[in-house]
Amino acid sequence: MTTPNKTPPGADPKQLERTGTVREIGSQAVWSLSSCKPEPGIGFRTLHLPGFGVDQLRDDNLETYWQSDGSQPHLVNIQFRRKTTVKTLCIYADYKSDESYTPSKISVRVGNNFHNLQEIRQLELVEPSGWIHVPLTDNHKKPTRTFMIQIAVLANHQNGRDTHMRQIKIYTPVEESSIGKFPRCTTIDFMMYRSIR
Amino acid sequence: MTVLQEPVQAAIWQALNHYAYRDAVFLAERLYAEVHSEEALFLLATCYYRSGKAYKAYRLLKGHSCTTPQCKYLLAKCCVDLSKLAEGEQILSGGVFNKQKSHDDIVTEFGDSACFTLSLLGHVYCKTDRLAKGSECYQKSLSLNPFLWSPFESLCEIGEKPDPDQTFKLTSIQNFSNCLPNSCTTLVSNHSLSHRQPETVLTETPQDTIELNRLNLESSNSKYSLNTDSSYIDSAVISPDTVPLGTGTSILSKQVQNKPKTGRSLLGGPAALSPLTPSFGILPLETPSPGDGSYLQNYTNTPSVIDVPSTGAPTKKSVARIGQTGTKSVFSQSGNSREVTPILVAQTQSSGPQTSTTPQVLSPTITSPPNALPRRSSRLFTSDSSTTKENSKKLKMKFPPKIPNRKTKSKTNKGGITQPNINDSLEITKLDSSIISEGKISTFTPQIQAFNLQKAAAEGLMSLLREMGKGYLALCSYNCKEAINILSHLPSHHYNTGWVLCQIGRAYFELSEYMQAERIFSEVRRIENYRVEGMEIYSTTLWHLQKDVALSVLSKDLTDMDKNSPEAWCAAGNCFSLQREHDIAIKFFQRAIQVDPNYAYAYTLLGHEFVLTEELDKALACFRNAIRVNPRHYNAWYGLGMIYYKQEKFSLAEMHFQKALDINPQSSVLLCHIGVVQHALKKSEKALDTLNKAIVIDPKNPLCKFHRASVLFANEKYKSALQELEELKQIVPKESLVYFLIGKVYKKLGQTHLALMNFSWAMDLDPKGANNQIKEAIDKRYLPDDEEPITQEEQIMGTDESQESSMTDADDTQLHAAESDEF
Repeated sequence: MTTPNKTPPGADPKQLERTGTVREIGSQAVWSLSSCKPEPGIGFRTLHLPGFGVDQLRDDNLETYWQSDGSQPHLVNIQFRRKTTVKTLCIYADYKSDESYTPSKISVRVGNNFHNLQEIRQLELVEPSGWIHVPLTDNHKKPTRTFMIQIAVLANHQNGRDTHMRQIKIYTPVEESSIGKFPRCTTIDFMMYRSIR
Repeated sequence: MTVLQEPVQAAIWQALNHYAYRDAVFLAERLYAEVHSEEALFLLATCYYRSGKAYKAYRLLKGHSCTTPQCKYLLAKCCVDLSKLAEGEQILSGGVFNKQKSHDDIVTEFGDSACFTLSLLGHVYCKTDRLAKGSECYQKSLSLNPFLWSPFESLCEIGEKPDPDQTFKLTSIQNFSNCLPNSCTTLVSNHSLSHRQPETVLTETPQDTIELNRLNLESSNSKYSLNTDSSYIDSAVISPDTVPLGTGTSILSKQVQNKPKTGRSLLGGPAALSPLTPSFGILPLETPSPGDGSYLQNYTNTPSVIDVPSTGAPTKKSVARIGQTGTKSVFSQSGNSREVTPILVAQTQSSGPQTSTTPQVLSPTITSPPNALPRRSSRLFTSDSSTTKENSKKLKMKFPPKIPNRKTKSKTNKGGITQPNINDSLEITKLDSSIISEGKISTFTPQIQAFNLQKAAAEGLMSLLREMGKGYLALCSYNCKEAINILSHLPSHHYNTGWVLCQIGRAYFELSEYMQAERIFSEVRRIENYRVEGMEIYSTTLWHLQKDVALSVLSKDLTDMDKNSPEAWCAAGNCFSLQREHDIAIKFFQRAIQVDPNYAYAYTLLGHEFVLTEELDKALACFRNAIRVNPRHYNAWYGLGMIYYKQEKFSLAEMHFQKALDINPQSSVLLCHIGVVQHALKKSEKALDTLNKAIVIDPKNPLCKFHRASVLFANEKYKSALQELEELKQIVPKESLVYFLIGKVYKKLGQTHLALMNFSWAMDLDPKGANNQIKEAIDKRYLPDDEEPITQEEQIMGTDESQESSMTDADDTQLHAAESDEF
């Protein structure tokens, strides 16, 4: 999106989930960040207030966010236990609330490990105000199969140093073929007889 | 028990009977502190247990020696409740390592409560994987007391096939009296002095005549041990008070209902003999309402009996008024009632004028001189015995067809005894003239009458239990159609109850007839909205039908009502699973397991959720847990088969599906799966056979036809595949898979235009799916011809929705034309 128009917000990923075609698999991965702002506290004593790290990035709460605390590029690493098919990445960014912390240039890389990453997508955001859906397809227009995804924030709006990211969701396609190598059925009549529960 | 304890004990029992547990516990604690007897210990433990604190009862009883059977039984019960099965077993039968007692030892030791003890022991054995021993215990328990349903149920569930006809019958009066509490033992031991006491209540009737009667009866005891029971009837039935007819019937009914109540043991003083005192544990009954155990209410013997003393005639062996018998309830054994009533009616007929009087007592015996009684009673006794014998013979044969008659009668005659009933009964009695000729009913003592009525009621219950037992057995063996048939023939007032409807709903569920099941279950919710058992099946039915609103209402209602029931949490989990919120569903299923770790279905559902979140190892563990809890849970075997299928371990998958099928042979879904797996194992002939079988069992299952078509397609039998698919198109016209497969067939046949047509239809019908497979199928079509198929395809079929739809629209008109040509 290199047009000067603002990036339009995408649909809420929950709706995507309800179609039954994709499933959120962030819970099956190990998340790590390049840096994050620590919890507020005084010396050894913490005030038990929420920090700005992975938990806030994955808590389904758009009010809490990750705040980086280092030099660019800021990285979010998602590592799966096994090679997983990933279809879509959803990032929530809001220029109005984050201003200079809003990312403007994001690079998505996949690979087997840290040394093996290849960029498969780069996106530019212009004053985003909601969910950004990033399809992760390979050269053949199919969802990528990978061990690891790295989301790199290369630049922020207004040349901000640190970045805020409010929520990230990662989706895998659901193969609902319960029996046989067939695609999903569409009518309840078929679905009723499809399985025993 | 000493005199000191009596009032305190009475007070404690009264508190318990009124559910005032704090009072009961407090008093019991004081009593125990005062008198450290085992009796008091048992009483205190009972108070704790009834107030819901099994652990208190357990610790109390553990801390003190328990030698009496009742203490042992209670302690064992607490152990089982607290999941200390080994300990429970040890208490009841000597444990695993020590010398075990045989069932006979247990029977002698526990006496009356042997049936419950054996049932508990059976439960322990079944839970510890000793099904054979468990089933033995259950059988023995049922033979001791056919009134127990749960051993029968457990036997069905572990896969045994107990015979309801053999199980639910009153084989001998010995059994009959054993089933009933203390008071009924008086029936057997008629010699004991204590049992004479109730007869003192027969103030109006000369004591000696009664005793004489009894002795007569006893003397001719060879065939007829019933006579011993007369004393039982006396006390209950006869009260010095004049009781109005309505309550009179209720009295007898109360008396009958009183059978399971221990309150009867208080039958000591005259006060306790009033039928209306709570000591009888009687619930007042106005009408012969269904669902009571006391169908004897229709037998207005009691009122007649009661009124006998009031009329003051010394020889009041009042005869049961047949009139009342007109209001027969279901329970009243047809044979019995018909045979008894004629006897009774004969008397009324003999005392003609009296029949026309109000349905109060008619005591034809008033006319007969007292000293004739003994003779008559002996004759009565013989005739009675013969009739009872006839009764018992006719019982089983006659009863089932009579149920509808009963039902209508009881419906019309609701409200008690009225004149028309007399006419009814009189008519009936004319039928059995043979018996009438025999019966010198004039000497039919109230005791015997009442006892006959009791027995009749019990027989009635037995008949009902036999039918329900047959239905339940059929359901547990998954003969669902049979089960539905049997259960639908129950009388309507029993049919329209939660338990029966839930079983029927479950039967429809197992037949995959989810619409019917949903209808039945919503009826259950309407009539018994406090029922949770069976609601998990309802929730799964709604899940299959994808009725998310109904499911969410159900789950909310259930979880609000009972947070400690696994069924409620299963429903909640199903609700979220339907919304595809698998993590939350998993949470709820885990909660269901926490609430009841012995609930197999929760594990199965959790396993299915893990399969949906692709965590197959966890899913395997869950299904295995379900099987550990209940080896006959075929859903779990199916789940395991599915996982192995996903992992492409086809022979393992087939084995597990086959195990599931062994448990539930009429499931077309299972057969369908087996067919597909066999096809995957390259056993296509067998696969086709299996699928044919599946279609025969359930012609409504479209997936069987679909898979048959796909197997035919894989075996290159395109024409037959097409034929199958065309039929399927008629049955399920909106299913995209059907068109997809037709497209593939045409592609193979080289008819690319038709193939494309069908593919585009398939895509139309599955808009949100954007099924990659369909796209691929279309792509591949071009691949051999073109080097750059994809971009072209993308342009034509891809992201440009409007183009695609317009193309399909244009195609559609052509297609329909083409179709008409082609087919």
